[in-house]
Amino acid sequence: MQSLHNSVIASENDYLVRKSGAGRTSQFSRKSDYWQGLFHAMGCPCELLVETDDESMAERLLDLVSSEAWRVEDKFSRYLPDNIVAKINNSDGAEIEVDDETADLLDFATTLHQLSDGMFDSSSGVLREVWKFDGSDNVPSPEQITSILCRVGWQKLDWNRPCLRLRPGMQIDLGGLGKEYAVDRAASQVAEATDASCLVNFGGDLIAVGSRAKHAGWQVGIEALDEGTQRAERLIRLKQGGLATSGDARRFLQKDGVRYGHILNPVSGWPIESSARSITVAADTCTQAGMLATLAMLGGRAAEAFLDEQNVSYWCLR
Amino acid sequence: MRGLAKTLFLSQLLIFALAGCNSMGVEPWERDVLAKEEMQLTVDPVEAGLDDHIYFSKEASSGGRGFGGGGCGCN
Amino acid sequence: MATKKRKSVAASLATATCSLLGNAATEPVQAQEEPGWDFNTALLYYDEGDGRVQDISFNVLANRTFVDDRSLSLTFVFDSLTGATPVGAVPFSGPQTLTRASGGSTYNVPANEIPLDDTFLDTRYALAVNWQQPLGRLYSLNAGLSSSFEYDYTHIGANVELSRDFNQRNTTVSLGLAIANDDMDPEGGAPIPFAPMLDVGDLSNKAGDESKDVVDVKIGVTQVINRNFLVQLNYSFSDSSGYLNDPYKILSLVDAVTGDPIPRTPAPGAEGPLHEYAFEHRPDSRTKHSLYGQGKYYMSGKVLDLSYRFMTDDWGIDSHTLDLHFRWPVGESSYFEPHLRFYTQSHADFYRVSLVDGVPLPTYASADYRLGEFDALTVGLKYGWKLASGNEMSARIEFYNQEGDAPRNQLIGNQLTREMYPDMDAIIAQFSYRFGK
Repeated sequence: MQSLHNSVIASENDYLVRKSGAGRTSQFSRKSDYWQGLFHAMGCPCELLVETDDESMAERLLDLVSSEAWRVEDKFSRYLPDNIVAKINNSDGAEIEVDDETADLLDFATTLHQLSDGMFDSSSGVLREVWKFDGSDNVPSPEQITSILCRVGWQKLDWNRPCLRLRPGMQIDLGGLGKEYAVDRAASQVAEATDASCLVNFGGDLIAVGSRAKHAGWQVGIEALDEGTQRAERLIRLKQGGLATSGDARRFLQKDGVRYGHILNPVSGWPIESSARSITVAADTCTQAGMLATLAMLGGRAAEAFLDEQNVSYWCLR
Repeated sequence: MRGLAKTLFLSQLLIFALAGCNSMGVEPWERDVLAKEEMQLTVDPVEAGLDDHIYFSKEASSGGRGFGGGGCGCN
Repeated sequence: MATKKRKSVAASLATATCSLLGNAATEPVQAQEEPGWDFNTALLYYDEGDGRVQDISFNVLANRTFVDDRSLSLTFVFDSLTGATPVGAVPFSGPQTLTRASGGSTYNVPANEIPLDDTFLDTRYALAVNWQQPLGRLYSLNAGLSSSFEYDYTHIGANVELSRDFNQRNTTVSLGLAIANDDMDPEGGAPIPFAPMLDVGDLSNKAGDESKDVVDVKIGVTQVINRNFLVQLNYSFSDSSGYLNDPYKILSLVDAVTGDPIPRTPAPGAEGPLHEYAFEHRPDSRTKHSLYGQGKYYMSGKVLDLSYRFMTDDWGIDSHTLDLHFRWPVGESSYFEPHLRFYTQSHADFYRVSLVDGVPLPTYASADYRLGEFDALTVGLKYGWKLASGNEMSARIEFYNQEGDAPRNQLIGNQLTREMYPDMDAIIAQFSYRFGK
């Protein structure tokens, strides 16, 4: 999902490239009536849009947002070798004491596991070892899946706040909620700092805060599923609140005419059957939007029925 | 006249019976099926309009579901 | 228990998110699909066969939604009609010659055939606009204007409907009103009722243009019965007044014993009808009452749509219509929809097979087969499919059969041996394409 007011590669004449610590850069430029900050975090293009004439305030907000994004990435990314997640995943059965923020995320993941009857499972990342969604036809065998399922199951965690014990072979992956969480954290910092209308967008999971003075909200486009088309499939006017998308548009396997989406059922080990190709949900926060989109996606054929029951606005592409 | 009285009586009875049914219905979160396009009372207004026009031109009755979009000199 | 639990997922999630983010209160989300245009187009072909009416119709419905659930729709229809239609004269064992309605020329009817007049070539354009918007939380307003234009017929109309929801939107009550004024200016002028058919060029049986006014009132209730079942009940009242005759319909004047048309000699040197005919005469007002009920029932993906309409009017016509559609999904993106429609109507009080020579003229009389007593059956099948782009196409084919009888007690002499009522068989074929946004 992209804001239509920008392209990820800034092409306006007046832009500034700014450096910020550890080789991470951000770009900052002026659009028609707002400032746009761009940077890269959590493996995706991120942006901050601020509706203000105050350039220095907008720059400060960009610093706030990018710092928060990189902080969350550094702390919770499963790709880094020495953060709390790495410590937990390399603990080999030992008990690990975690800080408050990590404990809050673990509690949240536990709630989601219960709310979804086990379908949302932050320990299911190991299934990645047998499912490689590279568009090929390398579908794993039932034996491979059975053996890997022994290492999956959030209910197998020994979690007594603040102490977590993971069984050997198991891994936790907070990627399923990390991005949305980061968006909301960055947004609350922005909201504390200013009343100006802002849009925080990390790779398509986004939130609008403040009140957009001149226009009736931000215009956000959901990408069409057809590869290569820039034309947005649908246009959403977002005045306030979060939008998040769950989808398999780019990551899938195809074998014998069957398309295997990358959303896996952690109980069976197989991709969700009849999953929608893309689900976008609007909710008060980006986290709620993201979790509802994921829960709906996990519901397969029942995605729309589930979202109708939750009484939220959503856009489902099949 | 007899036909008219019968119609009026029946329709009044049914309308008031239905309008008084406070207990019938669904909660807002149970409207998933009702929201489907194929469950709308008129699924395809263009097709409904075409059919209404054909039958209005060939028969002595018209309307019922809604208003005619207009008359015509069809024979 | 399961329903209660499913309901609270969003609520539980909200609470959990609140704990996670430490937000005291978040602003409620405001997100809406950007309004856009939606198009529904259709091409229809209608053919009664046997040289009778053929119609090609092209329709476009363009709908634009605005923020806050307001919408505007524009409808454009183009019709091209050709072919002949039963004119109301009786068939008999010899040929007949009649003057066209325009008074400009004559046409011949072979022996033993029901007379058809093909003066009836017409092009029609119709344009309608409709506005819909909510009024407050529970009310909804729908207002529109309609118009149609043919070389001999103009219609303009206005309609308004107010709806209100009750019982958590499970019940909706609506009240609607429509008014219309139709103007007729047939070629040669509108005929004087019961005036005789005259020779070519003699228009003394014609008056100028005429008009009629129609008022429609509708009261309706829509009720959700359960998650899969919805019903609607409407009562409609319609009042027409003015020139209600069909300017092209006539009756034959027949012999009281044989039932055959009375011969006539045109004026010297003139062309004209070779038998006696008179233009029809309908009352100048008509009051109709209708009761319409519809139910839609969802059964694991399939949808049953059944409706019934009862109509009665002060012309003595009673009709019953039973309409059944059954949508049968095929795979994820297509469906079949068989269609069955039963219709039956009684004849108008003033429906006459023919006017009888020597018998006093009735107050009103019409031999228009559409005011006669007949049954009709439509059988059809529709196939619809969704394209990859999300747009929809559909195609349907239907067969419409009308079979009627002239009232036996009106038949005289040779008429009893003939097929007096023009049965009809028509094919309806339609292709639709919906796209937009």
